[in-house]
Amino acid sequence: MKRYLAARLSFCLVTLLMSTFAFSQKTTIIWWEHSNPPHNNYSKELVADWNAKNPNTPAQYEFFAMTPYFKKLTAALSTRSAADMFTLIDTLMPSYTTKNALAPIRPEWLGYKSLDDMKAHYVPGALDGYIYQGKLYAVPVVASVFSLYINAKHFREAGLDPEKDYPRTWEDIGRIGKKLVKMKGNKMDREAFDFAMHSSTWTMWYFNALIRQYGGEILDASGKKCTANSNAGVSAMKARAMFVLDYKISDPTVSVGTNALPADDLPKERISMFITHAGSVAQFGPEVMKDMKVVPFPQVNPQKPVTPIYGFAIAVNPQIPEAKQKLVHDLIKHVTKDPKGWYEKTSYPYPSKNFLELPGIGEARKTRYLDVFMTDITNGRFIQRSPQILEINGAIHRAMERVVLGGENPKKSLDQACKEINAALAR
Amino acid sequence: MNTKAWLRWGGWGITLLTILGIGVTLLPYFWMVSSSLKTGAEVFELPIRWIPQEIQWVNYPDALSRGSFGTYFSNSFIVAVAVTASNVLFCSLAGYGLAKFRFPFRDLSFQLILCTLMLPLEIVLVPTFLVVQQFGMVNSYGGLIVPLAVDAFGIFLMRQFIRDLPDSLIEAARLDGCSEFGIFWRIILPNCKPALGALALLSFRDNWDQFLWPFVVAASDALKTFPLGLAQMEGIDSAAYHEIMALAVMGMVPMAILFLCFQRAFVRGIALSGLKE
Amino acid sequence: MGRKPGSPKEKAAVAGRFARLWQWTAWPSSLSHRNRLCLAGVFFVVPALIHLVVFKFYPLLEAFRLSFYRYDLMSPPTFAGLANYKSLWENPLFHQSFWVSVKYMFGVSIAEWFLALGLALLLNRAMAGRSLIRLAYFFPIAMSQIVVAMVWKFMYHPHGLVNIILEFFGVDRINWLSTEETALPSLIAIGIWRGIPLFGVIYLAGLQAIPKDYYEAAMIDGAGVFQRFIHITIPLLLPTILFVMVISLLSAVKVFLNPLVMTEGGPNGTTRVLPYFIYETGFAYFRMGEAAAASVVLFVLVFGLTLILLRLLRRGDVQ
Repeated sequence: MKRYLAARLSFCLVTLLMSTFAFSQKTTIIWWEHSNPPHNNYSKELVADWNAKNPNTPAQYEFFAMTPYFKKLTAALSTRSAADMFTLIDTLMPSYTTKNALAPIRPEWLGYKSLDDMKAHYVPGALDGYIYQGKLYAVPVVASVFSLYINAKHFREAGLDPEKDYPRTWEDIGRIGKKLVKMKGNKMDREAFDFAMHSSTWTMWYFNALIRQYGGEILDASGKKCTANSNAGVSAMKARAMFVLDYKISDPTVSVGTNALPADDLPKERISMFITHAGSVAQFGPEVMKDMKVVPFPQVNPQKPVTPIYGFAIAVNPQIPEAKQKLVHDLIKHVTKDPKGWYEKTSYPYPSKNFLELPGIGEARKTRYLDVFMTDITNGRFIQRSPQILEINGAIHRAMERVVLGGENPKKSLDQACKEINAALAR
Repeated sequence: MNTKAWLRWGGWGITLLTILGIGVTLLPYFWMVSSSLKTGAEVFELPIRWIPQEIQWVNYPDALSRGSFGTYFSNSFIVAVAVTASNVLFCSLAGYGLAKFRFPFRDLSFQLILCTLMLPLEIVLVPTFLVVQQFGMVNSYGGLIVPLAVDAFGIFLMRQFIRDLPDSLIEAARLDGCSEFGIFWRIILPNCKPALGALALLSFRDNWDQFLWPFVVAASDALKTFPLGLAQMEGIDSAAYHEIMALAVMGMVPMAILFLCFQRAFVRGIALSGLKE
Repeated sequence: MGRKPGSPKEKAAVAGRFARLWQWTAWPSSLSHRNRLCLAGVFFVVPALIHLVVFKFYPLLEAFRLSFYRYDLMSPPTFAGLANYKSLWENPLFHQSFWVSVKYMFGVSIAEWFLALGLALLLNRAMAGRSLIRLAYFFPIAMSQIVVAMVWKFMYHPHGLVNIILEFFGVDRINWLSTEETALPSLIAIGIWRGIPLFGVIYLAGLQAIPKDYYEAAMIDGAGVFQRFIHITIPLLLPTILFVMVISLLSAVKVFLNPLVMTEGGPNGTTRVLPYFIYETGFAYFRMGEAAAASVVLFVLVFGLTLILLRLLRRGDVQ
């Protein structure tokens, strides 16, 4: 054993020496991303562009399979072998920030005077998801939001006008849905509306918006106690379940764990209304979109709108030296300097303040519902930040399943969820 | 019914079951192949359309262009062959030692060896990665191959198989003055062809399909293996499933070829008719 | 070993030492026959053993050691005694996971034990197109695990292939992956589908190794098909049977890609097998210590089962 220890130590020493030696040569910046076909190719283009302009500090871009990506990132950070900069989805931010696993972003290095100055350049609230204890930890590259997609063709067939009669509130959906649902015997052949049920993250995107629309929150201000079983929470859960249980325009067992693509039912006309994110426009393609219309995310109170937003952002590895961090900031500046380019190449909106006024965007505003998305983004709030977000997602998802699939009383279900969440927060 | 009738009905029954079994086995595969020739929108169409409207041969070159699949395939091949060869050698050595020799702590070693099979990789992922890091093998072929070079599965398989070989064979060779390694090489191995074939086939398959370990060890595109390339075709919720299926079909080709090659090992049995008890 | 070029005396001493070392590599003829065999056995096993100790056993022990610590993968571990085990005991999800794993494990393995043997027996017979039929049956092995999950998720869709076949026979549509009663059996079916060819290959190898002479002798003695099976095939196949039983259990207990990708452990945790719980606790919730504790429990379960099987099938094991 001792011999092995000595071997280990000597290897450590050798690798350390070799790595410092490596630094004195060309500095390569390594950038990791998760796989997302719409935007990986554009990232590669940006890197190629950077390499042409900065031959002495080339960037190396690698992307990895989406689902296990954070496993790899965590294992790499834990063993000090992670990339210099990496893209993260916003929900995972607290898992890393609370463990000091990310380096703070310096707005000055990005060309802003201060963090407040930087915030002013973005849509209000767009950076909130990436701020922890007053410091910014990642720079957004993509902002996405959930909106309501309706099948205009089905509306017209049912004698409704998709331009005027689209639902604005959840109750509207229920009412209108009754005219759109199609039954075959006593099995639903075409749902009028449904939520995606295949992932606890999606469930949280819906539920978090709902509970806020009713004036509540999942966790209290300190983030240490679950408040999902408040009146607001119960109302939110009731709203979530009412399309199945009361209005009977949803059949949850059709979409649970079945769709390879969450929004797949829409283009296949198995459903008339569905809430999905902004990127679906490009996914569906112009053929399908001919029959579709996108309208704002449904509200409890249209005067006080709240929508769910999410995004991807680039974070910096704190284990690299300061000089390299500055270099990484330059690359981030390069990557984020052209929001219009991002949108055109990836069809993800960008949360910069003047996005809608950029030259050339007008076309997209008319044909690709950019106005709707940007309005929803402006009203958007990120999911509750918490390092235990995945456990919270799981507890809420299970509660939702119990109510929707098993008909359990919402208050009882949420009490159970809060019990699980409080136990997780206490650990 | 008399025996003859039983046998006849039994024979038909077995044939029917065989056909049914093949059907159940191959249906998913047929869906996979047919999907690989459809357009993206047709893949998940319901009710299932078995013959695509228009055969999209272009899916195959398109899919290959989505990543450096040439590299991924060859890496997978290199790693799988290396690991399989290493496994076949070291596992049969160890299996022979455990099966035909007596030494102190033999059974304990065997149980310890079995222990290494009992936990999924996720749990030992970080410690294993640290070990590999100590040896400086991260992001290298060494890191992909060496940790998998010996698998307890193979040791167990060879041990069980070699136990069955008659001791008399070995004793006779010893009396003839053959060295221990010579006995292994010239007597044991040739008589283990079915087991070696099975081990090579399953080891290759396991390593061809290995995902998590290469995923964690490989940090650059040049080192990725085929399953990694396949997995990164999926995005947050968008994926070109027709192309993924095309890649999947291509990924099955090496296995199919290998299986056909190893068929012969399964056909020959041991002919011991010359041996005098 | 001296490095300096030295006097002839030094050179001779070095040469002598070298020669003695070289002698050691030759077979130590001084040992008794039994000890020599003993040493030979050790030499055969040692390379594999060393490899396993370094790359598999040591990480295993590390993982177990972590079960007594709080570890979130980023900050250094802090000692926590039995706190993780206590947490697990109080966590109803852990208990549920444990039993789901047990059900899955036995559901898949036991079916595999018998069906794979049936397949091997079938494919052992001479028949027309045997090679092609074998190839057909073994295709599921060649399919990548990621693809298997995708394909079967689609098969199990409410409007998917399985339901289409059922509807053909007049049975009502079942939502396989989203109904509590059917979710786990659906995954078990996939496990069996994939496992049968795998163990069929192994059984086939075992069957091939049984000398035909034994069968011929038995037939001359007038033994029927069934008798030949019971008295020749089974006893000679016992080592292989033991292997299949143990390995099928060990493989089944590690599976969690399908529950992860197809049902996310649901509905209501009915497909959350223990490895999924462990992965979730460690990598998603960053509670590596607790995950390690759960894996210790998993290990004890599997180790115990293996020991029991090894004892029960002693006859296939005794030399």
